[in-house]
Amino acid sequence: MNSGPGLTLNLAGIPMKTPFLAASGCYGYGREYLPWADYSCWGALVLKGTTREPRGGNPPPRLVETPSGLLNAIGLQNPGIDYFLKQIRPGLEELGPAIILNIAGESIEEYCQVASLLEGVKEVDGIEVNISCPNVRKGGVHFGTDPAVVEELVGAVREVYSGPLLVKLSLEAGQIVPVALAAEKAGADALSLINTLRGMVIDIHRRRPVLGSLTGGLSGPAIRPVAVRAVWEVAEAVKIPVVGMGGICTAEDALQFFLAGATAVAVGTANFVNPRVASDLVRGLTRYLQENGFKHYRELIGAARNR
Amino acid sequence: MESRNNSPGGRLKEMVAVARNCYRLIIEYPWLAPPQPGQFVQLRWHRGTDPLLRRPFSIHRADCRRGELWLLIQVAGRGTADLVERGTPGMELDILGPLGRSFPHLEEEGLALLLGGGVGLAPLLFLAEERRRRGLPFRWLIGGAGADLLPPPEYFLSLGLSPQFVTEDGSLGEKGLATDLLQRFLEEERPSRVHACGPVPMLATAAKLCRQFRVPCHLSLESFMACGVGACQGCVVPIRHGEKVEYRRVCLEGPVFDGEVVDFEQWPGIDP
Repeated sequence: MNSGPGLTLNLAGIPMKTPFLAASGCYGYGREYLPWADYSCWGALVLKGTTREPRGGNPPPRLVETPSGLLNAIGLQNPGIDYFLKQIRPGLEELGPAIILNIAGESIEEYCQVASLLEGVKEVDGIEVNISCPNVRKGGVHFGTDPAVVEELVGAVREVYSGPLLVKLSLEAGQIVPVALAAEKAGADALSLINTLRGMVIDIHRRRPVLGSLTGGLSGPAIRPVAVRAVWEVAEAVKIPVVGMGGICTAEDALQFFLAGATAVAVGTANFVNPRVASDLVRGLTRYLQENGFKHYRELIGAARNR
Repeated sequence: MESRNNSPGGRLKEMVAVARNCYRLIIEYPWLAPPQPGQFVQLRWHRGTDPLLRRPFSIHRADCRRGELWLLIQVAGRGTADLVERGTPGMELDILGPLGRSFPHLEEEGLALLLGGGVGLAPLLFLAEERRRRGLPFRWLIGGAGADLLPPPEYFLSLGLSPQFVTEDGSLGEKGLATDLLQRFLEEERPSRVHACGPVPMLATAAKLCRQFRVPCHLSLESFMACGVGACQGCVVPIRHGEKVEYRRVCLEGPVFDGEVVDFEQWPGIDP
């Protein structure tokens, strides 16, 4: 990687070796893929959405495959922030990539309590505030749809957490740009988009929805064009960096996001299909840069908009 | 754009139908770690995005010396139908595994009772061969709706195994349910342990009977799965933990669970 084109970046104050992040919810707490993946190819791992109290998650079935996609309703099953800090945190820095913890809650107060517990925690390089989980009844996506609420929530978290602060946005509001601008105004250092899109699959034999919680969040290649469009719109409107995600499986997919204006990209569902996806992305991006005469990937960021 | 540089690839050597909608696959695979009965692999057979995910399959047989992986596959949905349609000798296969926890107490000397329903045979084939190889006693009951849905007795004989069959329509072995025969076995033979795999209603009844007769039982469970390595929390099943019911991952904490703690009353689609 040293002699090839540059892939390094500084995202929201976090130095990264590559512009590829493992997306929250798809990489557990960072260690699950150790036997299967080359961690040196990740710029950062975004760890599972964590709440103040442990959460049991949604009743199964939680997954159903859809055409080129995956509908999930995990419901933020997680052991809670205290368990994370005591049991999971130690040694995270040894994994290699930067570590970002996704946090979620049912109230502004809960988000702030979780964020304040992460202030100064050296193993966690930054936090991603999840205001867009479609699979919890309270909070989650409902925080992500109203620009005024987003501004209040992100502003409150900003007051208690001084490190790099990412905000993960939903498309549920219909208009994503006002929400993005609200998060930026309230002090977000970067924006992650998009989260999954709400959907439903019905089992025609049982004549009821497949998922235990009826609806779920759609991910995978099926949502990629929607995500590229959202990145395009948001990157034009905000000054802070955008982390693009939604169905990225190959370097060609990732390139679309860079060209639309993403500074980095996150990969979720593709890990399930191809645990070596990060190595493939680094190899594919490097080859594209070499073949097209670029010295650093950053020359591509937003390049599709400049004509 | 993708490569499989850091993991060994597999190659389909042979695919034969052994029952209606049921195929035995022999895959050339250079095992890096010897698997244990009850473990599974996540199989990917094509480069496209539809079907998107890998599919998990219990290991039927793993011959590390010859470098072979055997699977028994039932066509149950779009994924397995696609695999069978595309499956031709020489086809490259991407294999993640071995994954999950195996059946415990493999080396126990007491009489083990194996209970399989329908295609829930694969992990028990592995277990039975392992018990036989070690000269450990076991009995094996196989239940199914009818003979056409089960591999024929000759299939088992070719592996040196002779299970006892029971079918709902009486077309093979006794007529009835596998769990009826299980009850008789528990009464008459007092096995020291039961290992079961098959449809959920059968497993629920088996767990209940074993509790009644105070015989420990281990159930190999199935679930729709995404990652297979414990990252996504998608494949969970309800497991009793003291007073509480918690969701545990079939891929990591399972697929083999202690029958005592699986909460079938909370099971989706099953009326308690």
